[in-house]
Amino acid sequence: MALKYDTSDFRNGLKIELDNAPYVMTYFQFVKPGKGTAFTRTKLKNMLTGSVIERTFRTGEKVEAAEVEDQPMEYLYDDGEFYHFMNTETFDQVQILGSVIADEARLLTENLKVTVLFYKGRAVSVTLPPFIQSEVVYTEPGQKGNTATGATKAAELACGATIQVPLFVNQGETLKVDTRTGEYVSRVKN
Amino acid sequence: MLDAHRLRQRARILRALRRWFDAHGYLEVHTPVIVPAGAMEPYLEPVQVRDGQLHTSPEFAMKRVLAAGLGRIYQIGPCFRDEEVGIHHSLEFTMLEWYRVGAGTPELIDEVEALVGAAAEAVEVEAPIFRRVSTSALLADDGDPDSWFHRWVSEVEPTLTMPTIVTDYPAWQAALARVRGDVADRFEVYLGGLELANAFAEEPSSSELRERATAADSLRRAAGRSPHPVDHAFLDAVDRMPRCAGIAMGIDRLVMALTGAPDIAEVQARHPELGVRRPPPGSG
Repeated sequence: MALKYDTSDFRNGLKIELDNAPYVMTYFQFVKPGKGTAFTRTKLKNMLTGSVIERTFRTGEKVEAAEVEDQPMEYLYDDGEFYHFMNTETFDQVQILGSVIADEARLLTENLKVTVLFYKGRAVSVTLPPFIQSEVVYTEPGQKGNTATGATKAAELACGATIQVPLFVNQGETLKVDTRTGEYVSRVKN
Repeated sequence: MLDAHRLRQRARILRALRRWFDAHGYLEVHTPVIVPAGAMEPYLEPVQVRDGQLHTSPEFAMKRVLAAGLGRIYQIGPCFRDEEVGIHHSLEFTMLEWYRVGAGTPELIDEVEALVGAAAEAVEVEAPIFRRVSTSALLADDGDPDSWFHRWVSEVEPTLTMPTIVTDYPAWQAALARVRGDVADRFEVYLGGLELANAFAEEPSSSELRERATAADSLRRAAGRSPHPVDHAFLDAVDRMPRCAGIAMGIDRLVMALTGAPDIAEVQARHPELGVRRPPPGSG
C-alpha cells in the first residue's frame, strides 16, 4: 500500500501523486463556502514538467504520496543525447535524456554537485545549486567605464550557455550565474 | 509582533460601524457566548466547553431578544467555529450581526452598501460599489450539494474578485432563511475576494426550522458527527418574532478587505501560540 495523505497533512513542499505524475504542493488554503462543507484549495507543481495546476480537495479526501526521492550526485559528461550523473558514495551512475533537462543542461559543468530526482526509481530531473561559476569563452570586447547604463551583450560560457552580461565583462573572466533564472549575477575575482 | 497600524484601522472601522448603527436607530445588545446549542447548520462545529458550547454566531439569542420586542438590534462580539483555521479563517473571530424589523433582503442590501461605505470612509479608502448577481447566473443547481460546493469553491469563488452581492440561493441552502418556490431568500456579500457576510429573510415558523434541524442531523449522522443539541427556547421565540431580515458580517474580513491584509492574523491581536497551523508529527 502506498503512503497516503489526507487534507490535514497538506503543507507547502508536500509531494503527491496525481493523474500518474508527481506534484509538489506550493500553496494550500482552507476554504469553506457559506453553508457548505470544508475544502482545501491548492496549487501543485508538476515535478516532471514544472507546470502548475490548481486543485481543490474535499476535507478528508486522501491522496497518494509521490514515489519520489532526491539523491545528491555529481555531473559527469554528456554523450550528445544523454547526460550522465554519478552518486559519489555508491558510484552508481544514471543518465537523463538531454531534451528533458534542457534548461538545466546548459548550465552543467563537469563535477558539479547536483540533486537528481528519482520518480518510481527512475532519474527524471536534476536541480542545480542556486549559483554556478563559469568562464566566459567568448564575448565582444569590453567597454571600460561603461558600468551603469544597464546595456547588455551576449557572452558564451564554458558550460555551454550563452547569457546576457553587462558591457564591462571580458573574455576569460569567471561569472557567477543564478541557476533559477539563468541570469548573470556578478564577476568572480580569480 | 502585532501590527499597530492595522489594529488602529480596525478600531476606526469599529467606531464607524457603531456610529452608523446609532444614527439608524439600532440598539446594541450583548448575548452570552456560552450557550446550550451553538449551531443548527450541518457543517458548523461549535467549540465544546464545560457548561455547553461556544456560539458559532449570536443568531439564536438575538432572535429571542427580537421576540422580546426590542426592535432593530445589532451585536459585535466574538464567535467560535471549531476546525476552521487558515489565512481567511480563525477559530475565534469577531462577528457583527444585525436585524432589521419589518424589512426584507432588499433593504438589508441597501444597509450593507451604506455600512461598508461608512467603514471604508473611516480608513480613507473608496467605498466599494457592489454588483448583484444570482447564484443561478454563476452556477447551475444540479441538486447535488457536494458537487455544487466543490464547483463553487474551485470555479466560481475565484472569479468573485470585484465587490459582489450574491442572491437567490438554492432552497436546500436555506439554513434559517425563508424559502420562496425553489429559491432561498438570502444573500452573501463578497469583498476583496472574501465571503464577508451572509443574510437571511428570517424564516418565521418554528415547525419549519425543527424540520430543517432534523434534516441537518441526518446529514451529520451520515458524516459520523453527533447531532447538534436543540435550543427549544430559541425555537419557541421564533413564533413570537416580528417579520425581519438579519445579517452576519465577519469584522476581521471587513478589516482585511479594506486595509489589504492578506492574512486574518494580521488584523487580530492574536496570541502567537494560538491559531497556528502546524504540520502533523512525523509527516516531514
